[in-house]
Amino acid sequence: MRDIAFGQYYPTGSPIHRLDPRAKLVFSLLYMVFIFFAKSYVAYLAIFTFIVGVTLISKVPFRALLKSVKIILVLLIFTGLLNLFMYRDGNILGEWWIFRITDKGVDFSIKIMLRLSFLIVGTSMLTFTTTPTEMTDGIEWLLNPLKYIKIPVHDIALTMSIALRFIPSLMEETDKIIMAQKARGAAFDTGKLHERAKSLIPILIPLFVSALRRADELADALDARCYNATPHRTKMKKLAFSYRDAIAFLILASLICFIMVDAYYFTQFVPVGHIASGLDYYVFSWISGLIA
Amino acid sequence: MEAIKIDNITLEYKSNNNSIVRAVDNVSLTVNEGEFIALVGHNGSGKSTLAKLLNGLLIPRLGDVKIYGTSTRDKAKIFEIRKNIGMVFQNPDNQMIASIVEDDIAFGPENLGIERNEIIRRVDWALEKVGMSEHRKSTPFKMSGGQKQRLAIAGILAIKPSIIVFDESTAMLDPEGRREVLAVAHELNKNENITVILITHYMDEAVNADRVVVMNRGKIVSDGTPSEVFAHKDLLESLHLTLPLPTSIAHNLGRLGIPISSDILTEEQLEEELCKVLK
Repeated sequence: MRDIAFGQYYPTGSPIHRLDPRAKLVFSLLYMVFIFFAKSYVAYLAIFTFIVGVTLISKVPFRALLKSVKIILVLLIFTGLLNLFMYRDGNILGEWWIFRITDKGVDFSIKIMLRLSFLIVGTSMLTFTTTPTEMTDGIEWLLNPLKYIKIPVHDIALTMSIALRFIPSLMEETDKIIMAQKARGAAFDTGKLHERAKSLIPILIPLFVSALRRADELADALDARCYNATPHRTKMKKLAFSYRDAIAFLILASLICFIMVDAYYFTQFVPVGHIASGLDYYVFSWISGLIA
Repeated sequence: MEAIKIDNITLEYKSNNNSIVRAVDNVSLTVNEGEFIALVGHNGSGKSTLAKLLNGLLIPRLGDVKIYGTSTRDKAKIFEIRKNIGMVFQNPDNQMIASIVEDDIAFGPENLGIERNEIIRRVDWALEKVGMSEHRKSTPFKMSGGQKQRLAIAGILAIKPSIIVFDESTAMLDPEGRREVLAVAHELNKNENITVILITHYMDEAVNADRVVVMNRGKIVSDGTPSEVFAHKDLLESLHLTLPLPTSIAHNLGRLGIPISSDILTEEQLEEELCKVLK
Protein backbone atom coordinates (compact mmCIF):
# COMPACT_ATOMS: atom_id res chain seq x y z
CA MET A 1 0.00 0.00 0.00
CA ARG A 2 2.84 2.35 0.86
CA ASP A 3 4.86 1.65 -2.27
CA ILE A 4 2.96 3.90 -4.62
CA ALA A 5 5.67 6.00 -6.18
CA PHE A 6 3.17 8.44 -7.65
CA GLY A 7 3.64 11.96 -6.41
CA GLN A 8 6.70 11.06 -4.41
CA TYR A 9 8.86 14.07 -4.00
CA TYR A 10 12.62 13.73 -3.56
CA PRO A 11 13.81 16.93 -1.92
CA THR A 12 17.44 17.30 -2.99
CA GLY A 13 17.38 21.01 -3.88
CA SER A 14 19.08 20.36 -7.23
CA PRO A 15 18.95 22.80 -10.18
CA ILE A 16 16.20 20.62 -11.67
CA HIS A 17 14.13 21.08 -8.51
CA ARG A 18 14.63 24.82 -8.74
CA LEU A 19 13.33 25.08 -12.30
CA ASP A 20 10.06 26.95 -12.60
CA PRO A 21 7.18 24.43 -12.29
CA ARG A 22 5.46 25.95 -15.32
CA ALA A 23 8.61 25.43 -17.38
CA LYS A 24 8.94 21.88 -16.07
CA LEU A 25 5.34 21.11 -17.02
CA VAL A 26 5.80 22.49 -20.53
CA PHE A 27 9.13 20.66 -20.92
CA SER A 28 7.53 17.40 -19.83
CA LEU A 29 4.72 17.87 -22.33
CA LEU A 30 7.20 18.62 -25.13
CA TYR A 31 9.29 15.63 -24.11
CA MET A 32 6.24 13.36 -24.07
CA VAL A 33 5.14 14.50 -27.50
CA PHE A 34 8.53 14.39 -29.18
CA ILE A 35 9.69 10.99 -28.00
CA PHE A 36 6.94 9.69 -30.26
CA PHE A 37 8.77 11.20 -33.21
CA ALA A 38 11.99 9.34 -32.49
CA LYS A 39 12.62 6.83 -35.29
CA SER A 40 16.14 5.46 -35.02
CA TYR A 41 18.08 3.76 -32.24
CA VAL A 42 20.52 6.63 -32.41
CA ALA A 43 17.66 8.96 -31.45
CA TYR A 44 16.68 6.61 -28.62
CA LEU A 45 20.26 6.65 -27.43
CA ALA A 46 20.11 10.45 -27.42
CA ILE A 47 16.94 10.39 -25.30
CA PHE A 48 18.54 7.87 -22.98
CA THR A 49 21.60 10.08 -22.54
CA PHE A 50 19.33 13.04 -21.89
CA ILE A 51 17.38 11.19 -19.19
CA VAL A 52 20.53 9.89 -17.51
CA GLY A 53 21.95 13.42 -17.55
CA VAL A 54 18.78 14.90 -16.03
CA THR A 55 18.75 12.19 -13.36
CA LEU A 56 22.38 12.83 -12.46
CA ILE A 57 21.78 16.57 -12.13
CA SER A 58 18.58 16.03 -10.12
CA LYS A 59 20.33 13.65 -7.68
CA VAL A 60 17.21 11.49 -7.67
CA PRO A 61 18.38 7.89 -7.12
CA PHE A 62 18.21 5.70 -10.24
CA ARG A 63 16.41 2.97 -8.34
CA ALA A 64 13.48 5.38 -7.80
CA LEU A 65 13.17 5.70 -11.57
CA LEU A 66 13.52 1.95 -12.06
CA LYS A 67 10.74 1.49 -9.54
CA SER A 68 8.40 3.60 -11.64
CA VAL A 69 9.27 1.47 -14.69
CA LYS A 70 8.54 -1.62 -12.61
CA ILE A 71 5.00 -0.38 -11.99
CA ILE A 72 4.22 -0.55 -15.71
CA LEU A 73 6.34 -3.67 -16.33
CA VAL A 74 3.33 -5.89 -17.07
CA LEU A 75 1.93 -3.36 -19.51
CA LEU A 76 5.37 -3.03 -21.07
CA ILE A 77 5.84 -6.76 -21.63
CA PHE A 78 2.27 -7.19 -22.85
CA THR A 79 2.60 -4.38 -25.40
CA GLY A 80 5.99 -5.70 -26.49
CA LEU A 81 4.75 -9.26 -27.02
CA LEU A 82 1.57 -8.16 -28.75
CA ASN A 83 3.54 -6.10 -31.26
CA LEU A 84 6.12 -8.83 -31.65
CA PHE A 85 3.59 -11.49 -32.61
CA MET A 86 1.00 -9.40 -34.40
CA TYR A 87 3.15 -7.23 -36.67
CA ARG A 88 2.41 -8.31 -40.22
CA ASP A 89 4.98 -6.48 -42.42
CA GLY A 90 8.60 -7.31 -43.03
CA ASN A 91 10.70 -10.41 -43.58
CA ILE A 92 9.25 -13.38 -41.74
CA LEU A 93 11.62 -14.82 -39.14
CA GLY A 94 9.23 -17.45 -37.80
CA GLU A 95 5.53 -18.34 -37.99
CA TRP A 96 3.20 -20.44 -35.84
CA TRP A 97 -0.62 -20.57 -35.98
CA ILE A 98 -1.78 -16.92 -36.07
CA PHE A 99 1.53 -15.63 -34.72
CA ARG A 100 4.19 -14.30 -37.00
CA ILE A 101 7.49 -12.81 -36.05
CA THR A 102 9.03 -10.46 -38.58
CA ASP A 103 12.22 -8.41 -38.45
CA LYS A 104 10.16 -5.23 -38.53
CA GLY A 105 8.01 -6.62 -35.69
CA VAL A 106 11.08 -7.17 -33.52
CA ASP A 107 12.30 -3.69 -34.34
CA PHE A 108 8.91 -2.14 -33.64
CA SER A 109 8.27 -3.91 -30.35
CA ILE A 110 11.70 -3.02 -28.96
CA LYS A 111 11.11 0.60 -29.88
CA ILE A 112 7.63 0.72 -28.37
CA MET A 113 8.94 -0.68 -25.10
CA LEU A 114 11.74 1.87 -25.04
CA ARG A 115 9.25 4.62 -25.80
CA LEU A 116 6.92 3.64 -22.95
CA SER A 117 9.81 3.36 -20.50
CA PHE A 118 11.12 6.79 -21.47
CA LEU A 119 7.62 8.18 -21.12
CA ILE A 120 7.15 6.90 -17.58
CA VAL A 121 10.67 7.83 -16.51
CA GLY A 122 10.27 11.35 -17.85
CA THR A 123 6.95 11.96 -16.14
CA SER A 124 8.19 10.44 -12.87
CA MET A 125 11.09 12.85 -13.06
CA LEU A 126 8.53 15.65 -13.00
CA THR A 127 6.81 14.37 -9.86
CA PHE A 128 10.12 13.52 -8.18
CA THR A 129 11.39 17.08 -8.54
CA THR A 130 8.21 19.16 -8.17
CA THR A 131 6.15 19.54 -4.98
CA PRO A 132 2.39 19.04 -5.36
CA THR A 133 1.86 22.71 -4.54
CA GLU A 134 4.26 23.85 -7.26
CA MET A 135 2.61 21.45 -9.65
CA THR A 136 -0.88 22.80 -9.02
CA ASP A 137 0.41 26.37 -9.22
CA GLY A 138 1.97 25.52 -12.57
CA ILE A 139 -1.15 23.82 -13.86
CA GLU A 140 -3.26 26.74 -12.70
CA TRP A 141 -1.05 29.11 -14.67
CA LEU A 142 -1.14 26.93 -17.77
CA LEU A 143 -4.93 26.65 -17.61
CA ASN A 144 -5.33 30.37 -16.99
CA PRO A 145 -6.61 31.20 -20.50
CA LEU A 146 -9.61 28.98 -19.76
CA LYS A 147 -10.77 31.61 -17.25
CA TYR A 148 -12.05 33.64 -20.15
CA ILE A 149 -14.53 30.93 -21.04
CA LYS A 150 -15.72 30.90 -17.40
CA ILE A 151 -13.96 27.74 -16.33
CA PRO A 152 -13.16 27.94 -12.58
CA VAL A 153 -9.43 27.31 -13.01
CA HIS A 154 -8.52 28.16 -9.44
CA ASP A 155 -11.17 25.82 -8.02
CA ILE A 156 -9.85 23.01 -10.20
CA ALA A 157 -6.29 23.67 -9.04
CA LEU A 158 -7.35 23.79 -5.39
CA THR A 159 -9.31 20.56 -5.78
CA MET A 160 -6.19 18.91 -7.18
CA SER A 161 -3.96 20.14 -4.40
CA ILE A 162 -6.47 19.01 -1.77
CA ALA A 163 -6.70 15.60 -3.43
CA LEU A 164 -2.91 15.26 -3.27
CA ARG A 165 -2.87 16.55 0.30
CA PHE A 166 -5.37 13.89 1.41
CA ILE A 167 -3.67 10.87 -0.19
CA PRO A 168 -1.49 10.18 2.90
CA SER A 169 -4.39 10.84 5.29
CA LEU A 170 -6.65 8.41 3.49
CA MET A 171 -3.89 5.80 3.24
CA GLU A 172 -3.39 6.02 6.98
CA GLU A 173 -7.13 5.68 7.45
CA THR A 174 -7.22 2.62 5.17
CA ASP A 175 -4.47 0.97 7.21
CA LYS A 176 -6.40 1.65 10.41
CA ILE A 177 -9.62 0.22 8.99
CA ILE A 178 -7.81 -2.88 7.71
CA MET A 179 -6.30 -3.45 11.14
CA ALA A 180 -9.65 -2.88 12.85
CA GLN A 181 -11.38 -5.37 10.57
CA LYS A 182 -8.54 -7.88 10.96
CA ALA A 183 -8.89 -7.57 14.73
CA ARG A 184 -12.51 -8.62 14.25
CA GLY A 185 -11.40 -11.68 12.33
CA ALA A 186 -11.71 -10.50 8.75
CA ALA A 187 -9.51 -12.38 6.26
CA PHE A 188 -8.29 -10.37 3.30
CA ASP A 189 -5.64 -12.53 1.73
CA THR A 190 -7.24 -15.96 1.66
CA GLY A 191 -10.06 -17.47 -0.36
CA LYS A 192 -11.05 -17.31 -3.99
CA LEU A 193 -10.75 -14.15 -6.01
CA HIS A 194 -14.42 -13.16 -5.70
CA GLU A 195 -14.32 -13.88 -1.96
CA ARG A 196 -11.31 -11.62 -1.63
CA ALA A 197 -13.01 -8.92 -3.64
CA LYS A 198 -16.04 -9.23 -1.37
CA SER A 199 -13.88 -8.92 1.72
CA LEU A 200 -12.90 -5.44 0.53
CA ILE A 201 -16.41 -4.14 1.13
CA PRO A 202 -15.94 -3.76 4.91
CA ILE A 203 -12.89 -1.62 4.11
CA LEU A 204 -14.39 0.50 1.37
CA ILE A 205 -17.63 1.44 3.10
CA PRO A 206 -16.05 2.91 6.26
CA LEU A 207 -13.42 4.57 4.08
CA PHE A 208 -16.06 6.31 1.97
CA VAL A 209 -18.09 7.32 5.01
CA SER A 210 -15.04 8.86 6.58
CA ALA A 211 -13.94 10.54 3.36
CA LEU A 212 -17.36 12.18 3.03
CA ARG A 213 -17.27 13.29 6.66
CA ARG A 214 -13.84 14.77 6.12
CA ALA A 215 -15.05 16.57 3.01
CA ASP A 216 -17.86 18.10 5.03
CA GLU A 217 -15.54 19.37 7.73
CA LEU A 218 -13.04 20.59 5.15
CA ALA A 219 -15.78 22.59 3.43
CA ASP A 220 -16.55 24.36 6.71
CA ALA A 221 -12.85 25.01 7.28
CA LEU A 222 -12.51 26.50 3.76
CA ASP A 223 -15.47 28.78 4.40
CA ALA A 224 -14.11 29.80 7.79
CA ARG A 225 -10.88 30.83 6.07
CA CYS A 226 -12.70 33.16 3.69
CA TYR A 227 -12.50 30.98 0.59
CA ASN A 228 -13.89 32.90 -2.41
CA ALA A 229 -13.86 36.17 -0.49
CA THR A 230 -12.54 38.00 -3.53
CA PRO A 231 -12.12 37.19 -7.19
CA HIS A 232 -8.71 38.90 -6.94
CA ARG A 233 -6.88 36.24 -5.00
CA THR A 234 -3.22 36.89 -4.35
CA LYS A 235 -0.37 34.40 -4.14
CA MET A 236 2.35 34.21 -1.55
CA LYS A 237 4.68 32.29 -3.80
CA LYS A 238 5.38 34.08 -7.00
CA LEU A 239 6.50 31.95 -9.90
CA ALA A 240 9.40 33.44 -11.78
CA PHE A 241 11.26 32.18 -14.83
CA SER A 242 15.02 32.39 -14.56
CA TYR A 243 18.12 31.78 -16.67
CA ARG A 244 17.98 28.13 -15.52
CA ASP A 245 14.71 27.63 -17.38
CA ALA A 246 16.25 29.08 -20.52
CA ILE A 247 19.27 26.76 -20.32
CA ALA A 248 17.02 23.76 -19.69
CA PHE A 249 14.90 24.77 -22.65
CA LEU A 250 17.93 25.02 -24.94
CA ILE A 251 19.08 21.55 -23.94
CA LEU A 252 15.63 20.08 -24.49
CA ALA A 253 15.27 21.97 -27.77
CA SER A 254 18.53 20.51 -29.09
CA LEU A 255 17.31 17.02 -28.20
CA ILE A 256 14.07 17.69 -30.06
CA CYS A 257 15.96 19.08 -33.08
CA PHE A 258 18.16 16.01 -33.11
CA ILE A 259 15.12 13.71 -33.04
CA MET A 260 13.38 15.62 -35.82
CA VAL A 261 16.43 15.94 -38.08
CA ASP A 262 17.14 12.26 -37.62
CA ALA A 263 13.56 11.27 -38.35
CA TYR A 264 12.85 13.56 -41.30
CA TYR A 265 16.15 14.55 -42.86
CA PHE A 266 18.39 11.50 -42.59
CA THR A 267 15.61 9.00 -43.19
CA GLN A 268 15.24 10.17 -46.79
CA PHE A 269 18.72 8.85 -47.60
CA VAL A 270 17.91 5.34 -46.41
CA PRO A 271 17.39 3.06 -49.45
CA VAL A 272 13.81 1.86 -49.95
CA GLY A 273 13.18 -1.50 -48.33
CA HIS A 274 16.03 -1.15 -45.86
CA ILE A 275 14.95 -1.85 -42.29
CA ALA A 276 17.07 0.85 -40.65
CA SER A 277 15.77 4.37 -40.27
CA GLY A 278 17.48 7.71 -39.79
CA LEU A 279 21.04 7.69 -38.60
CA ASP A 280 20.82 3.96 -37.87
CA TYR A 281 21.52 3.36 -41.55
CA TYR A 282 24.83 5.23 -41.36
CA VAL A 283 25.84 3.44 -38.17
CA PHE A 284 24.83 0.18 -39.85
CA SER A 285 26.85 0.95 -42.99
CA TRP A 286 29.81 2.10 -40.92
CA ILE A 287 29.83 -1.11 -38.84
CA SER A 288 29.45 -3.33 -41.95
CA GLY A 289 32.29 -1.30 -43.51
CA LEU A 290 34.46 -2.05 -40.49
CA ILE A 291 33.69 -5.76 -40.69
CA ALA A 292 34.31 -5.86 -44.44
CA MET B 1 -17.29 46.99 23.35
CA GLU B 2 -19.64 44.23 22.27
CA ALA B 3 -17.83 41.80 20.01
CA ILE B 4 -20.67 39.33 19.60
CA LYS B 5 -24.34 39.89 20.23
CA ILE B 6 -26.61 36.89 19.98
CA ASP B 7 -30.25 37.87 20.15
CA ASN B 8 -32.93 35.22 20.78
CA ILE B 9 -31.72 32.76 18.15
CA THR B 10 -33.38 29.46 17.40
CA LEU B 11 -32.34 26.78 14.92
CA GLU B 12 -33.73 23.31 14.36
CA TYR B 13 -32.50 20.39 12.32
CA LYS B 14 -34.00 17.11 11.26
CA SER B 15 -32.61 14.13 13.10
CA ASN B 16 -32.16 10.67 11.62
CA ASN B 17 -35.64 9.47 12.56
CA ASN B 18 -37.19 12.56 10.94
CA SER B 19 -38.13 14.22 14.20
CA ILE B 20 -37.25 17.90 14.54
CA VAL B 21 -34.54 18.65 17.06
CA ARG B 22 -34.11 22.16 18.37
CA ALA B 23 -30.33 22.45 18.47
CA VAL B 24 -30.31 26.06 19.64
CA ASP B 25 -33.39 27.16 21.53
CA ASN B 26 -34.00 30.86 22.06
CA VAL B 27 -30.43 31.68 23.06
CA SER B 28 -29.18 35.17 23.85
CA LEU B 29 -25.61 35.95 24.71
CA THR B 30 -23.35 38.98 24.61
CA VAL B 31 -19.60 38.66 24.42
CA ASN B 32 -17.42 41.67 25.13
CA GLU B 33 -14.22 42.41 23.33
CA GLY B 34 -11.18 40.79 24.95
CA GLU B 35 -13.16 38.25 26.95
CA PHE B 36 -12.13 34.61 27.28
CA ILE B 37 -15.28 32.55 27.33
CA ALA B 38 -15.52 28.81 27.88
CA LEU B 39 -18.66 27.34 26.36
CA VAL B 40 -19.22 23.96 27.96
CA GLY B 41 -21.84 21.33 27.52
CA HIS B 42 -22.34 17.65 26.99
CA ASN B 43 -22.50 16.08 23.51
CA GLY B 44 -25.60 17.28 21.73
CA SER B 45 -26.03 20.33 23.94
CA GLY B 46 -25.95 22.58 20.87
CA LYS B 47 -22.59 24.20 21.56
CA SER B 48 -21.06 23.32 18.18
CA THR B 49 -24.18 24.43 16.35
CA LEU B 50 -23.90 27.72 18.20
CA ALA B 51 -20.30 28.01 17.01
CA LYS B 52 -21.31 27.58 13.36
CA LEU B 53 -24.01 30.20 13.83
CA LEU B 54 -21.35 32.71 14.85
CA ASN B 55 -19.55 33.00 11.50
CA GLY B 56 -22.50 32.42 9.24
CA LEU B 57 -21.80 28.78 8.40
CA LEU B 58 -25.35 28.40 9.68
CA ILE B 59 -28.01 31.12 9.76
CA PRO B 60 -30.54 31.11 12.63
CA ARG B 61 -34.18 30.54 11.78
CA LEU B 62 -35.28 33.09 14.35
CA GLY B 63 -33.29 35.87 15.93
CA ASP B 64 -30.07 37.50 14.93
CA VAL B 65 -26.31 37.08 15.41
CA LYS B 66 -24.27 40.26 15.18
CA ILE B 67 -20.48 40.40 15.01
CA TYR B 68 -19.32 43.93 15.74
CA GLY B 69 -22.76 45.11 14.72
CA THR B 70 -22.92 43.21 11.41
CA SER B 71 -25.65 40.59 11.15
CA THR B 72 -24.71 37.17 9.76
CA ARG B 73 -27.86 37.42 7.67
CA ASP B 74 -26.22 40.13 5.59
CA LYS B 75 -24.89 38.04 2.69
CA ALA B 76 -22.93 40.92 1.22
CA LYS B 77 -20.89 41.25 4.40
CA ILE B 78 -20.35 37.57 5.17
CA PHE B 79 -16.61 37.75 4.43
CA GLU B 80 -16.25 40.79 6.66
CA ILE B 81 -17.68 38.64 9.44
CA ARG B 82 -15.45 35.67 8.64
CA LYS B 83 -12.45 37.95 8.59
CA ASN B 84 -13.38 39.12 12.08
CA ILE B 85 -14.17 35.76 13.59
CA GLY B 86 -11.82 32.88 12.94
CA MET B 87 -12.70 29.30 13.72
CA VAL B 88 -10.51 26.36 14.68
CA PHE B 89 -12.22 22.99 14.35
CA GLN B 90 -11.86 19.62 16.03
CA ASN B 91 -9.81 17.55 13.61
CA PRO B 92 -6.60 19.33 12.58
CA ASP B 93 -6.18 17.00 9.58
CA ASN B 94 -9.41 18.18 8.05
CA GLN B 95 -8.52 21.86 8.17
CA MET B 96 -5.32 21.73 6.18
CA ILE B 97 -5.50 22.31 2.47
CA ALA B 98 -1.82 22.31 1.48
CA SER B 99 0.98 19.82 2.02
CA ILE B 100 3.50 22.46 3.07
CA VAL B 101 3.05 24.41 6.30
CA GLU B 102 3.63 27.92 4.96
CA ASP B 103 1.39 27.36 1.94
CA ASP B 104 -1.41 26.30 4.22
CA ILE B 105 -1.08 29.32 6.48
CA ALA B 106 -0.98 31.66 3.49
CA PHE B 107 -4.31 30.28 2.25
CA GLY B 108 -6.51 32.64 4.31
CA PRO B 109 -4.73 35.90 3.44
CA GLU B 110 -4.47 34.78 -0.21
CA ASN B 111 -8.24 34.38 -0.26
CA LEU B 112 -8.60 37.92 1.01
CA GLY B 113 -6.40 39.26 -1.78
CA ILE B 114 -3.75 40.62 0.56
CA GLU B 115 -0.55 41.94 -0.92
CA ARG B 116 2.31 39.44 -1.20
CA ASN B 117 4.83 40.94 1.22
CA GLU B 118 2.14 41.40 3.83
CA ILE B 119 1.20 37.70 3.45
CA ILE B 120 4.80 36.70 4.11
CA ARG B 121 4.90 38.97 7.18
CA ARG B 122 1.66 37.46 8.46
CA VAL B 123 2.85 33.88 7.94
CA ASP B 124 6.04 34.67 9.90
CA TRP B 125 4.06 36.34 12.66
CA ALA B 126 1.41 33.60 12.90
CA LEU B 127 4.01 30.82 13.04
CA GLU B 128 5.93 32.65 15.72
CA LYS B 129 2.77 33.19 17.79
CA VAL B 130 2.07 29.46 17.89
CA GLY B 131 5.73 28.57 18.35
CA MET B 132 6.13 26.67 15.06
CA SER B 133 8.52 28.95 13.18
CA GLU B 134 11.09 26.23 12.56
CA HIS B 135 8.50 24.06 10.78
CA ARG B 136 7.74 26.62 8.10
CA LYS B 137 8.84 24.50 5.14
CA SER B 138 7.94 21.07 6.52
CA THR B 139 4.95 18.93 5.87
CA PRO B 140 2.45 18.33 8.70
CA PHE B 141 1.90 14.60 8.11
CA LYS B 142 4.33 13.38 10.73
CA MET B 143 3.55 16.00 13.35
CA SER B 144 1.76 15.44 16.66
CA GLY B 145 -1.89 16.39 17.08
CA GLY B 146 -0.96 19.38 19.21
CA GLN B 147 1.49 20.68 16.61
CA LYS B 148 -1.03 20.23 13.79
CA GLN B 149 -3.69 22.03 15.77
CA ARG B 150 -1.28 24.90 16.47
CA LEU B 151 -0.73 25.15 12.72
CA ALA B 152 -4.49 25.29 12.24
CA ILE B 153 -4.53 28.19 14.72
CA ALA B 154 -1.73 29.89 12.78
CA GLY B 155 -3.81 29.49 9.61
CA ILE B 156 -6.63 31.39 11.31
CA LEU B 157 -4.31 33.96 12.89
CA ALA B 158 -2.96 34.92 9.46
CA ILE B 159 -6.44 36.28 8.67
CA LYS B 160 -5.98 38.59 11.69
CA PRO B 161 -9.35 38.01 13.31
CA SER B 162 -10.48 39.87 16.44
CA ILE B 163 -12.35 36.80 17.69
CA ILE B 164 -11.31 33.14 17.56
CA VAL B 165 -13.73 30.30 18.23
CA PHE B 166 -12.15 26.98 19.23
CA ASP B 167 -14.81 24.42 18.34
CA GLU B 168 -13.76 21.45 20.48
CA SER B 169 -10.25 21.95 19.18
CA THR B 170 -8.78 20.00 22.08
CA ALA B 171 -11.15 17.03 21.94
CA MET B 172 -8.96 14.83 19.74
CA LEU B 173 -5.64 15.69 21.39
CA ASP B 174 -3.57 13.97 24.06
CA PRO B 175 -3.02 15.85 27.36
CA GLU B 176 0.22 17.37 26.08
CA GLY B 177 -1.45 18.62 22.89
CA ARG B 178 -4.39 20.00 24.89
CA ARG B 179 -2.02 21.93 27.10
CA GLU B 180 -0.18 23.39 24.09
CA VAL B 181 -3.38 24.53 22.39
CA LEU B 182 -4.82 26.02 25.58
CA ALA B 183 -1.60 27.88 26.27
CA VAL B 184 -1.73 29.41 22.77
CA ALA B 185 -5.39 30.37 23.24
CA HIS B 186 -4.66 32.15 26.53
CA GLU B 187 -1.56 33.81 25.14
CA LEU B 188 -3.50 35.23 22.18
CA ASN B 189 -6.24 36.44 24.50
CA LYS B 190 -3.82 38.17 26.84
CA ASN B 191 -1.20 39.60 24.48
CA GLU B 192 -3.05 40.10 21.21
CA ASN B 193 -6.35 41.08 22.83
CA ILE B 194 -8.19 38.47 20.80
CA THR B 195 -11.64 37.54 22.09
CA VAL B 196 -11.68 33.78 22.63
CA ILE B 197 -14.62 31.40 22.72
CA LEU B 198 -13.39 28.00 23.79
CA ILE B 199 -15.92 25.24 23.24
CA THR B 200 -15.16 22.12 25.23
CA HIS B 201 -16.59 19.39 27.37
CA TYR B 202 -13.57 19.30 29.68
CA MET B 203 -14.48 21.45 32.67
CA ASP B 204 -10.86 21.83 33.72
CA GLU B 205 -10.21 23.81 30.52
CA ALA B 206 -12.81 26.32 31.69
CA VAL B 207 -10.99 27.10 34.93
CA ASN B 208 -8.91 29.96 33.57
CA ALA B 209 -11.67 31.54 31.52
CA ASP B 210 -13.15 34.93 32.37
CA ARG B 211 -16.61 33.52 31.98
CA VAL B 212 -18.14 30.07 31.70
CA VAL B 213 -21.32 29.48 29.75
CA VAL B 214 -23.02 26.11 30.20
CA MET B 215 -25.39 24.77 27.56
CA ASN B 216 -27.84 21.93 27.72
CA ARG B 217 -30.40 20.87 25.13
CA GLY B 218 -29.95 24.05 23.14
CA LYS B 219 -30.40 26.42 26.07
CA ILE B 220 -27.94 28.34 28.22
CA VAL B 221 -28.40 26.98 31.74
CA SER B 222 -25.62 28.80 33.55
CA ASP B 223 -23.46 31.83 32.81
CA GLY B 224 -20.92 33.43 35.12
CA THR B 225 -17.35 33.37 36.38
CA PRO B 226 -15.85 29.89 36.82
CA SER B 227 -16.38 30.03 40.61
CA GLU B 228 -19.99 31.10 40.22
CA VAL B 229 -20.74 28.36 37.73
CA PHE B 230 -18.85 25.63 39.57
CA ALA B 231 -20.80 26.45 42.73
CA HIS B 232 -23.80 24.75 41.13
CA LYS B 233 -22.27 21.34 41.51
CA ASP B 234 -25.54 19.42 41.39
CA LEU B 235 -26.73 21.14 38.25
CA LEU B 236 -23.43 20.41 36.47
CA GLU B 237 -23.46 16.80 37.57
CA SER B 238 -27.02 16.36 36.33
CA LEU B 239 -25.67 17.50 32.94
CA HIS B 240 -22.88 14.89 33.06
CA LEU B 241 -20.25 17.59 33.43
CA THR B 242 -17.56 16.77 35.97
CA LEU B 243 -16.03 19.56 37.99
CA PRO B 244 -12.27 20.06 37.85
CA LEU B 245 -10.64 17.76 40.39
CA PRO B 246 -9.52 20.46 42.92
CA THR B 247 -12.98 22.07 42.91
CA SER B 248 -14.60 18.69 43.34
CA ILE B 249 -12.34 17.81 46.30
CA ALA B 250 -13.10 21.14 47.98
CA HIS B 251 -16.85 20.61 47.52
CA ASN B 252 -16.71 17.12 48.96
CA LEU B 253 -14.61 18.24 51.94
CA GLY B 254 -17.11 21.03 52.55
CA ARG B 255 -19.91 18.51 52.52
CA LEU B 256 -18.07 16.52 55.20
CA GLY B 257 -18.17 19.59 57.45
CA ILE B 258 -14.59 20.74 56.94
CA PRO B 259 -14.51 24.56 56.84
CA ILE B 260 -12.97 25.02 53.39
CA SER B 261 -13.81 27.60 50.77
CA SER B 262 -15.83 26.15 47.91
CA ASP B 263 -14.36 28.79 45.62
CA ILE B 264 -11.41 26.72 44.49
CA LEU B 265 -10.34 26.20 40.90
CA THR B 266 -6.71 25.15 40.80
CA GLU B 267 -4.45 22.74 42.63
CA GLU B 268 -2.47 25.64 44.08
CA GLN B 269 -5.58 27.21 45.60
CA LEU B 270 -6.58 23.87 47.07
CA GLU B 271 -3.13 23.40 48.55
CA GLU B 272 -3.26 26.83 50.15
CA GLU B 273 -6.75 26.30 51.58
CA LEU B 274 -5.84 22.90 52.98
CA CYS B 275 -2.76 24.36 54.69
CA LYS B 276 -4.99 27.05 56.27
CA VAL B 277 -7.45 24.41 57.51
CA LEU B 278 -4.72 22.18 58.93
CA LYS B 279 -3.00 24.99 60.85
